[in-house]
Amino acid sequence: MILRLPYLSFLFSRRAIVAGSALAILLAITLTVSVKLGAFPLSWSQIIATFARRADDVQQMIVLDHRLPRILTAIGAGAAFGLAGAMFQTMLRNPLATPDVIGFSAGASCGALLAMILTGGFILPGALAGGLVTAAAVTALAWHNGLQPYRLILIGIGASLTLSAGADLLMTKIDALTAAEMAKWLIGTLNTRDWSDVRLVWLGLTFLFPLALWLQFPLSRMAMSDDITTGLGLPLSPLRLLVTACAVALVALGVSVAGPLPFVAFVSGPIARRIVRGGSPAMLPAATVGALVTLLADMAARSFPIVQLPAGVCTAMIGAPVLMWLLLVQFRKGTL
Amino acid sequence: MSQPSRLMAKDLSVSFGKSSVLNELFVTIPDGSLTVIVGPNACGKSTLLRSLARLQSVQKGQVVLDGKAIHRQSSRSVARRLAILPQMPTAPEGLSVHDLVVRGRTPHQSALRQWSKADAAAVANALDKTGMADNAHRPLESLSGGQRQRAWIAMALAQDTDILLLDEPTTYLDLPHQIDLLTLVQKLNRETGRTVAMVLHDINLAARFADHIVALKDGKVHREGSPAEVITEQTMDQVFALPCTVIADPVHGTPHVIPA
Repeated sequence: MILRLPYLSFLFSRRAIVAGSALAILLAITLTVSVKLGAFPLSWSQIIATFARRADDVQQMIVLDHRLPRILTAIGAGAAFGLAGAMFQTMLRNPLATPDVIGFSAGASCGALLAMILTGGFILPGALAGGLVTAAAVTALAWHNGLQPYRLILIGIGASLTLSAGADLLMTKIDALTAAEMAKWLIGTLNTRDWSDVRLVWLGLTFLFPLALWLQFPLSRMAMSDDITTGLGLPLSPLRLLVTACAVALVALGVSVAGPLPFVAFVSGPIARRIVRGGSPAMLPAATVGALVTLLADMAARSFPIVQLPAGVCTAMIGAPVLMWLLLVQFRKGTL
Repeated sequence: MSQPSRLMAKDLSVSFGKSSVLNELFVTIPDGSLTVIVGPNACGKSTLLRSLARLQSVQKGQVVLDGKAIHRQSSRSVARRLAILPQMPTAPEGLSVHDLVVRGRTPHQSALRQWSKADAAAVANALDKTGMADNAHRPLESLSGGQRQRAWIAMALAQDTDILLLDEPTTYLDLPHQIDLLTLVQKLNRETGRTVAMVLHDINLAARFADHIVALKDGKVHREGSPAEVITEQTMDQVFALPCTVIADPVHGTPHVIPA
């Protein structure tokens, strides 16, 4: 299908449009259900009343100041992770090469943690710096006559483990109460999000989302091979740099509002590509899947009785089996 | 050397680490003809082709396209004049032949202008010329090796360039499919007047299809010219260290190598 505007034209596959719409509808339904879900029982009419500002103060507070920011943060962070994952998977032509597997998320968390300990704030700049430094270090260490994805993945996993240990070390330097809060954040959590988180993540997305979608055109060429990308007249090295910068910024954004949320970046791309098919990078569907997975994980975490479970525990429970399955598939195909 | 040429290598040296692969090599690819580069393993055939397509960083000398050093021109502008099909190309799983061929239009498109009438015409023409129109909506991995290679050639054709470079396009194809593919390439060269240069392993197939043969040895052009000039007992012995008898192919009249 072709969308034509004056001076502009875009090419879509029919399947991508149908799949994208279906995912968007699913997300809208999940969003609606998640507003109702929670420890404090509310009926649909009460919820509608809070939006019209006609409910009592407690109900108003629960829906507008507690549940809604949490949901909108989950969707924003999930979309950021899903998009970043799909970008890396496409660029490096390997489903294992995602920021959460190869240490970029861990780097962003460490940076954010360090910024918080040292200055008491600057979470986003800290995450951004941590993510970029890790990306640069892992790429430099993996570089050997060009970029070999499997080297990058192995070195990235090493970096991820090292950085987690580093984060643990940093935790011993702070008081126990803060450390307990930080520990939850390091797993990835959406507890006690407020409107400032929502504003941060969605403001970031307004800039990064269009850039990421613009990059889909070169990325779908880079998905073939380096030689073909160059042969088609695309500037390979600048594009790689731009894709990495954009994806790391997305990860930093997600990390600074929700913690690293393990495996969201990793599972979104493969799920989206399986739905859309046709060898497309499926970036918009990957963002939607990321949002959906995060929202569902947070709903599961919220509905857990007694303990306030961090959402990261649930995303890890979804992601880890997918990781094992992909490893097995790739091992069998010999494409690891 | 008297033939006009838009693509040439001048004093080209390429090395990987300490081992030198191309050594102060000069070559010209004659316009409009079908050139085949031959030579023993590790003689630098593929490296030469990749250098001609600006895929290889070179240590010394330069590749000249249309009178200017190729690496000083914008990659996009080069891609509108020269297409390269690398060895054993790969595509993401599920990509259809049609979508692959569409990607050949990249140098004529941008992220904001992804489709024009010229794109549609070039894609349809490329699918038609390679006989892939009926398979256009099949995913690449469901095709046989020969058909898949045709799809890749269709992508390079859709790029709509005057010069087409192919790096061992017959690798892993059986003999009938090799003949089929080379016949297609020859037909494209004859019908569209495109300059074609390719690397081939098989000397007899090179002799049969080429207008011009470049024989490489130790990173230099050992001999070049028409198949009759290059494929001789003497050259085979010097280039490949292969004692042989060369006869005229009883069907096509081209030189035919029979190893001793």
